[in-house]
Amino acid sequence: MRVAAHVQNHHQEADSIDVFGFWLYILTDCILFASLFATYLVLHKPHAVGPALKSYIDLSYVLGETLFLLASNFTFGMSILALYKNKPALVKAWLILTFVLGACFVGMEVNEFIHLAREGYSWQVSGAASAFFTLVGTHGFHVTMGLLWIIVMIVQLSFFKISDHTKRRMIYLGLFWNFLDIVWIFVFTIVYLMAVI
Amino acid sequence: MSEPDFGTGKKKFNVYVIGLVLCLVLTLIAFWAVMPPKYSPTITFSLIFIAAILQFLVQVVCFLRLNAATEQSRINLMSFLFTVVVLVAVVAGSLWIMWSLSYNMMH
Repeated sequence: MRVAAHVQNHHQEADSIDVFGFWLYILTDCILFASLFATYLVLHKPHAVGPALKSYIDLSYVLGETLFLLASNFTFGMSILALYKNKPALVKAWLILTFVLGACFVGMEVNEFIHLAREGYSWQVSGAASAFFTLVGTHGFHVTMGLLWIIVMIVQLSFFKISDHTKRRMIYLGLFWNFLDIVWIFVFTIVYLMAVI
Repeated sequence: MSEPDFGTGKKKFNVYVIGLVLCLVLTLIAFWAVMPPKYSPTITFSLIFIAAILQFLVQVVCFLRLNAATEQSRINLMSFLFTVVVLVAVVAGSLWIMWSLSYNMMH
């Protein structure tokens, strides 16, 4: 009994170190975003060359994107709660809903980029535009990777059911998905709302 | 048996719902303030930034569930705070340097 408890304990400790490592990855990713934000802010000074972003953006569209991402964050939380209650089918259902909401977000963003480029605000018009597409695009790319990860997670849950491993992976995915929504708060505030003021 | 949370905090349904409602309200306040801009730029600017920082805190507390309850979660929290310091240094530092550069070029 004691040996089993010891092994269990040791296992959990190793898991904690793994999760801490993933947490550090997320924090370094924050620093990547910080440098992109800094670049964006520097290139978007009031009298920057090139067309102003202001006349191209539609805030109600951005609000829609924001709500999709926020809702997907909430549904992911629900799938974690279902995981605690050991209900694999429910976990998968919430994950699928999270995927759909996240995919709506990415779809809207891609559509927005295409729209901007058609209207003449494309990547190469100015340094400010490059910084805009790099910052928002990097966030969108992260969300796309998160979507792939959700698919992988759904497949894993179908094969391995709810085990210690799948639980730990769900925690990683949760941290990542939540982190993306936190970055988005600053994207919509600094990029979209500040552009309009 | 309680679920291991690896210091990432236990998720709770009530806390999640409260977090969602607060985030929604703060998001709507921020968008409402600029659609169209209702006050002077300084006030609008402060308003959207306060809303963003509050929403950031709400997400960290209600969704990420950062806390200082266990050794592991304290390590997570400390590394998180350290990152915030680095973030502020990178962003504020870049702006400061570029602003001072621009000021010296123009005067």
